Amino acid sequence: MSNQKKILIINRGEIATRIAKACRELGHVAVGVWTDNELNAKHLEFCHEWVHLQGSTNAETYLNIDNIFKVIKENEIDAVHPGYGFLSESCEFARKLSKENIIFIGPHVEAVRQMGDKAISKQIAKAADIPVIPGSASAIPTVAEAKKIAKEIGYPILLKAVAGGGGRGMRACKDEKEIEDQFEVVQRESSAAFGNGDLLVEKLIVNPRHIEVQILADKKGNTYHFFERECSIQRRHQKIIEEAPSPFIGNDEKLRQKICNTAVKLSQAVKYDSAGTVEFIMGEDRNFFFLEMNTRIQVEHPITEEITGIDLIVCMIQAALGEELGIPSQEWITRSGHAIECRICAEDPITMLPSPGKVTGFESQFPQGTRFDHYLYRDLEVTPDFDPMVGKLITKGLLRSIAIRKMTCALDGLLVEGLKTNIPLHKVIVRNKKFLAGNYSTAFIVDEKPQEQVNVEINYLDIYKKLACIEARRMGI
Amino acid sequence: MRTYLIDSENNELKIDLTRTIIHSSKLVEFEFSTVQNNEVMNTEKIYIKKLAGSYFSSVDSISWEKMARQHLPVKMLNIDRVFDVYYGYKPSGLNSSAEGELFTKMSGKITKINVKEGDVVVIGQTLLILEAMKMENEIKSSLDGVVKAVHVSEGDVLEENILMMEVE
Repeated sequence: MSNQKKILIINRGEIATRIAKACRELGHVAVGVWTDNELNAKHLEFCHEWVHLQGSTNAETYLNIDNIFKVIKENEIDAVHPGYGFLSESCEFARKLSKENIIFIGPHVEAVRQMGDKAISKQIAKAADIPVIPGSASAIPTVAEAKKIAKEIGYPILLKAVAGGGGRGMRACKDEKEIEDQFEVVQRESSAAFGNGDLLVEKLIVNPRHIEVQILADKKGNTYHFFERECSIQRRHQKIIEEAPSPFIGNDEKLRQKICNTAVKLSQAVKYDSAGTVEFIMGEDRNFFFLEMNTRIQVEHPITEEITGIDLIVCMIQAALGEELGIPSQEWITRSGHAIECRICAEDPITMLPSPGKVTGFESQFPQGTRFDHYLYRDLEVTPDFDPMVGKLITKGLLRSIAIRKMTCALDGLLVEGLKTNIPLHKVIVRNKKFLAGNYSTAFIVDEKPQEQVNVEINYLDIYKKLACIEARRMGI
Repeated sequence: MRTYLIDSENNELKIDLTRTIIHSSKLVEFEFSTVQNNEVMNTEKIYIKKLAGSYFSSVDSISWEKMARQHLPVKMLNIDRVFDVYYGYKPSGLNSSAEGELFTKMSGKITKINVKEGDVVVIGQTLLILEAMKMENEIKSSLDGVVKAVHVSEGDVLEENILMMEVE
C-alpha cells in the first residue's frame, strides 16, 4: 500500500491496544513500546513492531521526549499517536514533531497550546461568545470589592485561591455576611497551602453536572460534534462512570443542540482539526459554562462510539493524515440508544485509593451489548508507577434502563482475582436510586457514599469456591 | 488439609478441607469449614465441574457459576482485603517477624538505601526509602544495632511481605 504509514503508539495499557487495532484496520504499521518495568506488556498485543523504550520511570520513558525521538529516528516513524495522559497534551512534544515533519495524531500545535492554558482558553471562549463561569478576571484584594462583584454575578459565590486546585482553597458564600467572615480565612489558608493568598470571586454552580461534547474535525475545515457525554460520577475530581447521552439533558433536544453547537463554535475558533472534547459545567437551571477543552482522545470515548457508530480513533488517524473522514454532513451523524462506561481500577473499593498487585485470575461472562476495553490477563502485575485503571466496561442498550441492566449483569460476570478492584463499588452505584433516576451531580460520591454500602464481610462461600477450584486443578480435574 | 489466609493486618482465617469425593473425572465434591477459636464453623459443600476448559462451582450440583481459573494463587481477594494464602502450613517468622527484620508492608520500589551491611544504626534512623503509590515511605530502624544483611538493592520493585533488611 502506497499510503501505508508507520505509526508509533507512545502509550500503554488499554488505549495502546485500542490504537493498535485501529492502525491494523487501516493497513498501517503499528509500533508499540515497552519499558524496563513492563516485561509482559500486553498492550503490544495488536502492534506489528515492538520497540524497547529504555528506562523504568515515566520521566525516563513515556515522558522523555529525547528518548522518544531516538525511537522515532531509528524506526523511521511517520506518525505518532500519544493516546491520553503522558505527552498527549504536551505542546513541546507536538511542536518538536511538527518541526521534524513527523505527523502528530492530534490537533495542530497552536490548538494544543491555546486550549492547554486555562487563561487563554477562557479568553478565546469569551471572544467567541461562549459562556464562561462569571467571576472576577483577576485577584480581588479587598472584601468590599469581593462583595461588589458578588452583587453583579449573584449569590451564591465561590471564594477561590488563584493558586488553588483539586477542590482545595475554596469556600462557598451565600451572602455578604459570609464573604466578610470567610475572606480572610481563605486568604490565610491559601497563603499557607499554596504560598499565594490571592483570591478570585466566581459564581458557584449549585449541584453541577459535568457534561462534555465530543468533537471531530479534519484538516479541510469540517467540524462535527458527536453529541454529549455526562461524567458527573467522580472521585477526587476523576471520572469513574460516564454515560451518553446525558440523562440530565434527557429529551431536551433544544438544550442538546445548543451545547453541541457551542462546542463546535469553540473548536472552530481555534481551527481544531482532530478528535477533542469540550467540557462544560451545567447548573440545576440548565445554564452551562465552558470549563476546558481536552485536545486528545479521552478515556470515555467508547460510549460515544457506541451510540453513534463512529470509530473515533480511526477518524483521528485519518484526520491527522489529511484524509477524508467520509462524513457528508452534521445531520448525517445520528445517535441511538444509551451507553454507560464503568472504569475498572485496581483500587480499594472503600477508600478508592490505588492498590497495586498481581492478577491471579481473570474471567468474563458478559451479556449482549457489552464491550470491554482492557489489558487484563492472569499474572498481570499492576505496579504503582502507572494509573490504576486496567479496563473500561461499556454496555449499550436501546434505553438507559437497559444499558444499566446490562451493566449490572456485566459487573457480576467480570471476575478479577488476586488484587483489589473497584468492581464491588460499581455494583453498588449501578443499584443506587439516584443513579437509576439519572439525577446526580458531581457530588454523588460525597453525598451518597456508595462505598459505605459495599459489603466487606468475609464471604466464606466465595473463598471456599475459589479454594475448591484450586484444589480441583491440583488434582488434575 | 488446612489453608491459612492472612491479611495485611495479621487477621487469620483457618480453612480446612475436610472431605473430597471424586464423582467423575469432571466432577468433584469438597467440604470446607473454618476453624475459629477451636470451633468449627461455616461448613459448606462445594461442587466443582470442568466444562470446556473452565471451572464451574456449585453448592447443590444443580445451579452452576463460572469461576476465574487461577493457578495456586498466593493471594486471595475478599472485596477490600487481600489475603496471603499458605497451603498446608503456617509460615513461621513471617508475621511474627523479629523486631529487626524489615518486610515490605505494601508493594513498591526501593528508591534509596541509606545503609550497608555492618553499619551501626540507631532507633528512628531512616534505613531505606520505599516508593509506593507515588509516595515515598521512609523505612526506619526500630532498634539500635548493626545492619546484619541487606537483601535488596536500589531500583528493586518488590511485592508485599518481602524481607528487605535485617538489623540486630
